[in-house]
Amino acid sequence: MLTPSERERYDRQVLIGEIGEEGQEKLKRSRVVIAGAGGLGSPIAIYLTAAGIGRIRIIDHDQVALSNLNRQILHWEKDIGNNKVDSARAKLRSLNSTVEIEAIAETITEGNVSRLVDGCNVIVDAMDNFPTRYVLNRCAIEKKIPFFHGAVSGFEGRVLTILPGETACLRCRFRGPVPEVKFPVIGVAPAVIGSIQATEVIKYLLGIGRLLTNRLLIYDGLQAKFSEFKVDRNPTCDHCGSLTSKE
Amino acid sequence: MAVNVHIHTTHRQHTNGLEVVPVEGNTVGECLSHLIRQFPGMEKALFGKKNKLLNVVEVYVTHATAHPNELIKPVKDGDEIHLLVMLAGG
Repeated sequence: MLTPSERERYDRQVLIGEIGEEGQEKLKRSRVVIAGAGGLGSPIAIYLTAAGIGRIRIIDHDQVALSNLNRQILHWEKDIGNNKVDSARAKLRSLNSTVEIEAIAETITEGNVSRLVDGCNVIVDAMDNFPTRYVLNRCAIEKKIPFFHGAVSGFEGRVLTILPGETACLRCRFRGPVPEVKFPVIGVAPAVIGSIQATEVIKYLLGIGRLLTNRLLIYDGLQAKFSEFKVDRNPTCDHCGSLTSKE
Repeated sequence: MAVNVHIHTTHRQHTNGLEVVPVEGNTVGECLSHLIRQFPGMEKALFGKKNKLLNVVEVYVTHATAHPNELIKPVKDGDEIHLLVMLAGG
């Protein structure tokens, strides 16, 4: 049930036919984990908080550095040296105090990931490296939690939505480890990609629209072009290959 | 078969800035060999030891993944090959 204040706050989006008051209540009952409070995590968290997700758990082990501020818009100069999750929580609470923001300053590992995502409806990938993405992907598959992948480099980005056991996962096209490099990026790229990830989460939670499942969306900011590529489940995938859609 | 190969932004330094390169071949592997004959710098951009595609490179034929066994995938006249690069950043 929405409060009078919530009705006023969400007035414009409740007007959207696909959302309505019933949809807004669904968002209020939802619990979302955002893995990463950096370039992608910032717009994802801002838009999901603004949209009225009931509970958001944001996980990041890192502290704010000056070199983050070209893209990680949740963090400001005064936050340098502080935990990113604390900086994020302070801003998000100021934006929407009705959303419960849980800040976890931990490194995501195979050992703790199950606990870190416990009780959530969806996991959003806002990481900056492949090994942790694969840890999250495997956990999402095992727990059958939808996983919303995004990644950026330069002016480019990509998005893929993963429904475990039903659609291609992040590991389905894996050929081997990729070397870690310092990636170039300008803030407008994660702004676009994070906003699309947040849109996917909202669509999934409301059961509306057409998700980016089995469709890898590529954004090329330099050409101002979106492209779509078909990806398939890989029956030999070491993360999801053994799952069937009925499991 | 006449096929267009779409070059990723980060690889265009090896193709004189060309975004699309016309090639000939019956498989993805043959097309990439023709690409490399025209632009030898693409070899190191795409392949590692033992002529194995680098793990970071993704191949799509007419907007569908060519994974696995990308190099032996057949292509037909007018197909488009996109060479993408996996992105790690967040």
